[in-house]
Amino acid sequence: MSVRLPGPERRDSILKAAQRLFSEKGYHGVSIDEIARKVDVSPAILYRHFKSKQMLYDAVLQAMSAQRESYVQTIINSGTSFEDVLTGMTQVYIKSISDNPDLLRIELQSLLDKNPAASDFFKNRWKSFTDYIEFSLNERLPYDTPNREVTILTAALMFQGMLREVLLQKHLQPQDRLEDVSLHELSQELVRLFLRSVGIEKSHLSRRAVING
Amino acid sequence: MSDFDSELDATGLNCPLPILRAKKAISAMEAGQTLRIIATDPGSVKDFEAFCKQTGNELLSSGEEEGKFTFMIKKAA
Repeated sequence: MSVRLPGPERRDSILKAAQRLFSEKGYHGVSIDEIARKVDVSPAILYRHFKSKQMLYDAVLQAMSAQRESYVQTIINSGTSFEDVLTGMTQVYIKSISDNPDLLRIELQSLLDKNPAASDFFKNRWKSFTDYIEFSLNERLPYDTPNREVTILTAALMFQGMLREVLLQKHLQPQDRLEDVSLHELSQELVRLFLRSVGIEKSHLSRRAVING
Repeated sequence: MSDFDSELDATGLNCPLPILRAKKAISAMEAGQTLRIIATDPGSVKDFEAFCKQTGNELLSSGEEEGKFTFMIKKAA
C-alpha cells in the first residue's frame, strides 16, 4: 500500500528516484513504470506530475541546474590571476560532483543517449571552464605562437578531459593505485601540470594561502 | 549622453568571466562611478546579485531584453 504524500513532496521523491535511475541506466534504459514502482505510485499518478518521460528527464536536469555551481565566491575571495581563478573553479566543480556524483553519471550516459536537453546542459557546465581558459590564453599567449588558435582550443579541451578523468577515476572507478592520493591532491597537481603545459608556472599558491588565511 | 561611466560587453561568456571582468573593471573605476554590463548567460542575474551583495557595490538596475541581460553597478565609496 503506498503512502499518501502531499503534491510537492511526491514530486520531489519522483525526481530523486528518476535522477538515480537515469544516472544508473541512461535515458533509454529507464521506463516510467520502473520509476513509478521505485516511488511506490501508479504510473497514472506519476503522469499527473510529469506528462512524459522527456519532461521528467528535463525536470531532473532543471533540478540539478538549480544547484549549479557558482564561481562568484571564488572570484570575490581569490586573486584574479589565471592560476588563482582556475584553481578556485576546479575546487568548486569537484565539490559539486562530490556532493552529487549522479551528475557525473548522467553526463556520461547522456553522451551516448544523444539527448539534446542533456547535451546542452552539460556543454554549458563545461563552457565555464573552456570559455575561461580560451579567453585567458587568448590574452596571454604571444601573438606569434605557432598554430595559436588551435593551441588555445586544445588547451581548453585538455583541461576538461583531465578534470573529467580525475573525477571519473575517483568517483566511478576507484583504483588501488590512486587510493592514497586524495581528490584534492590530484586536482591541485592537475592544475599545476596544466599551467606548466601552457607555459605558466604556478608561483602564487603559497602567497595566496597566506592572504586568504 | 550616456548614464554610465564604463561599459563591459560579456555577451556569449559563461560564469565566471562576466563577474571576473566586472571585478577588474570596477577596480579601475572611481567610487560612485557606474559600470554597465551586458551578458547573455542566464545565470549572470543571480551571480551579479550575489556579487554586489558581497562586495558592497550597488546594483542600480538589472533587466532582460531579447535574451540579453543588462546590469548597472555603482562602485561603492
